Amino acid sequence: MLTYLARRFGLGVVTVLVASVLSFLLVHASGGSPGVITAGEGATKAQIAAENDRLGWNRSLTAQYATWLTHAVRGDLGASLIDGHTIWPDLTQRLPVTASTAVFATLVSGVLGILPGVLAAVRGGRLDRVITTLSGITLSLPQFWVGIVLVYVIAVKGRLLPATGYVAFTTSPSQYAQSLTLPVLALGLTGAAIIARTTRAGMVNALQQEHIRTLRALGTPAWRIRYLHALRFAGAPVVAVLGVQFIALFGGSVIIEQLFALPGLGQAAQNAINTHDFPAVQGVVVIATVVVVATNLVLDLVLATLDPKVRAA
Amino acid sequence: MSVSTEPIQLPSPAEPSTRRRLPRGLRRPGTIVAGAWLVLVVLASATARWWTPFPAEHQDLGQVLGGPTARHLLGTDELGRDIFSRLVAGGWISIGPALLAVAVAFGVGVPMALLAAEHGRRAEWSCSRVAELLLALPTTVILLAFVGSVGVHVWAIMAVLGLLLSAPVYRILLALAQSLRTRLYVDAAKVNGVGSLQVNLRHVLPGLATTIAVQAAQLFALGILIEAGLAFMGYGPAVPTPSWGGLIGDAQQHIYDDPWMMVPTGVVLALTVIAANQIADSLAGERERTAPVRKPARRSGRFVPTAVRPSAVVTSDALLEVRDLHVGVDDGPELVSGVSVRIRPGTVLGLVGESGCGKTMTARSLLGLLPDGVAVTEGSIHFGGRDLVGLTERELQAVRGREIAMISQEPMVALDPMFSVGYQLTRPIRRFRGVGRREARRTALDLLAQVGIVDPQRVLRSHPHELSGGMAQRVCIALALTGSPKLLIADEPTTALDVTVQAEILSLLRSLVRTSGLSVVLVSHDLGVVADLCDDIAVMYAGQVVESGTVTAVLDDAAHPYTGALLSANPHIPQGEEVPDRLPSIRGTVPAPEHWPDGCRFAQRCALATARCHEPIEAAPAHRDGTVRCIHPLSTATTVAPSEPGAAR
Repeated sequence: MLTYLARRFGLGVVTVLVASVLSFLLVHASGGSPGVITAGEGATKAQIAAENDRLGWNRSLTAQYATWLTHAVRGDLGASLIDGHTIWPDLTQRLPVTASTAVFATLVSGVLGILPGVLAAVRGGRLDRVITTLSGITLSLPQFWVGIVLVYVIAVKGRLLPATGYVAFTTSPSQYAQSLTLPVLALGLTGAAIIARTTRAGMVNALQQEHIRTLRALGTPAWRIRYLHALRFAGAPVVAVLGVQFIALFGGSVIIEQLFALPGLGQAAQNAINTHDFPAVQGVVVIATVVVVATNLVLDLVLATLDPKVRAA
Repeated sequence: MSVSTEPIQLPSPAEPSTRRRLPRGLRRPGTIVAGAWLVLVVLASATARWWTPFPAEHQDLGQVLGGPTARHLLGTDELGRDIFSRLVAGGWISIGPALLAVAVAFGVGVPMALLAAEHGRRAEWSCSRVAELLLALPTTVILLAFVGSVGVHVWAIMAVLGLLLSAPVYRILLALAQSLRTRLYVDAAKVNGVGSLQVNLRHVLPGLATTIAVQAAQLFALGILIEAGLAFMGYGPAVPTPSWGGLIGDAQQHIYDDPWMMVPTGVVLALTVIAANQIADSLAGERERTAPVRKPARRSGRFVPTAVRPSAVVTSDALLEVRDLHVGVDDGPELVSGVSVRIRPGTVLGLVGESGCGKTMTARSLLGLLPDGVAVTEGSIHFGGRDLVGLTERELQAVRGREIAMISQEPMVALDPMFSVGYQLTRPIRRFRGVGRREARRTALDLLAQVGIVDPQRVLRSHPHELSGGMAQRVCIALALTGSPKLLIADEPTTALDVTVQAEILSLLRSLVRTSGLSVVLVSHDLGVVADLCDDIAVMYAGQVVESGTVTAVLDDAAHPYTGALLSANPHIPQGEEVPDRLPSIRGTVPAPEHWPDGCRFAQRCALATARCHEPIEAAPAHRDGTVRCIHPLSTATTVAPSEPGAAR
């Protein structure tokens, strides 16, 4: 188990390094240069060259990457080319916004997804068909479109919640909740549909297992068979998909943050891209990869506690 | 944009020969509609410039943000452009890049999987590490970083997406390709000198076809969503060109003054993704599609009791008596027709016959544990003074484990892999015996010792995957004993085990019968095992008992030609006899239930069959206490004149 985790951790570190190299190379392959941006519009070639020189752009690639890396491990991701603010504190300030939406959306998709999925598998018949069809439609809807519809129905027509904006939890917990409800719903509904599908398939499969027949042959009460044994058997894939979803939601937040004007990582990514703020792009890629890697590690741990076979591996 | 791919149900790899016809899923109306929609969208979009009412970029500033009218079917946008025309024109630029992503994903993923499956551990290791890495990268952010440094090039972005998606493609196909390569026909092709490329193209790839199709449809749906998401954020085709994501982006700007704008594009986009997912679902197959319908415990009408016959009084000395049992598939053929057997206390009854003769169905009906869609349609099962047929699920639950228990064919999968042996044993012990945790644990240890486990403490702590097959079967037997049942149903308890372990399990069963007075129904196709262990025997063929009686009587003096055939096909050669060069086998196979004839069901495989055999034949008394269902018996066992047909014994 420990070696397994160590191996996964090692892979995680490698992944983050590869992501940083990739983004580093992308930046250099793009043909642009940071001097163009820092020197401002209408700068002469000489001015741009001087800026590039100052930023170390003309040094060898390995030297530049080494410098970046030694700074990065100390939490220094450099400064923005646009306004010179340091990137690390900016991103860490934005992290809670994106993390809030992703965590709550994952919770929503778990809660709204597992119940109908179990019901569909256990009841079968018409209820199963209704749930399967509904989830099939819901998971096909683009999240940003669901978001717009929600804004229109709940914020514009219903005036129940604010359409856009973000209020920090520390400022006002209730407004924080209000500002997150719509984005979380927009992300969580499609997630719930996917979870419902996964849960249903897992439960149907679980209930056909031989060990379930053993339990029935022992006269085990039906509720115990379904909600303890079958659900636990079906649990591992559901948890895995929830983890994948959390990761996807973290990435998907880019669009939702634009739609709801949330000052999260996604917004930072978009700003960086639109202004060709190379260090910021690199910073976002690295932070996002770290989140993905960390999530995967947590997922491995959870799966190990769920499944004794994994634990032994 | 969700980059989660729903775990794909692996359809069992189709052998190449089953490929020819269109999968049944594709022929269903929903799928046809879905396919037609996709084709329609692509065709309409490709030909848009010739038939849409307006060019996509045509502006009419007198008609801004108009709702649907006869002139503008779906209304106009903020520049007075016709939404319908833009929607149709934008179809290709929304779908094409998604197709490219799918093509790249499979163009990279499939060869990688085939290579890794073919070239053994080294190649697999490196391919898998690359895939793991790609999987761990945050897809959206990488795409955005690409946009940020290289610029907005829709097709290039989607090609990068395809590259990232090749990792999940690889992962799923690798497992499948590896299992396909272990198939015998692939080995045969390799031995015959078929080239590696040929093996892959002719034997492995066809087996992957269904999975590839399912995944392609799913990734296509995902690709459309991602492309639309990027376009929505402004990373789509350059400004005047319409794309669906871009159109929704425009609509978002006018959510206050023209909410209608978001409807047409959203619906068309959603329908397209639904269509792709629908195709994926139906390709993924029937297997996973339907959850079993839970039936409210045995509705009246499902089973019509054959009237309350006064003759149905249980013969006093039998522990369990099955009379005229019929088991059938709902709206389908009968699987068991008219089986009558009885089990005396403290004895072992062997149910023997080839596969597909209804032995397992008969055994399972004793516990009311028939598969979904299969039910007892007629007959009675008398046990402990009542008829088990017609009991409610709740009443049966009280019988299961406490009075009748079962051990199964495959011990390795019969225990819950998620729970420790200790938990699985103590739970039923506490329920059956009403004892506390500690007492239950002690009982569990006793039971494990009773079934011959040397280190009960350790086994109690282990999980099923840590046990060997023989140990697992011992644990299963201990589990079956937790409720101190009077009858144990053992369905081929040793088939899945090694020969040496088989003997151990059999002797364990024998000693249990001897020491605890347990009765056993042993389902087996091994006459040697039956001769060894059983007191009585019922030979089943095609859903009927063709011969029954005590083991000594039936095996020493077989009357039914089928029993005779089974005996001569049995490899246990008595000592002193010559070993034949070639073991005789019974020609032909057991017919499928829907082809069971009215007359003797064995007639078409029987050397003695005459014209009369094709008329219905009743079981006649034989072997003193048993029956035989034959008019050309091999022996003189049927000394009693067959004058009382119908009287089962």
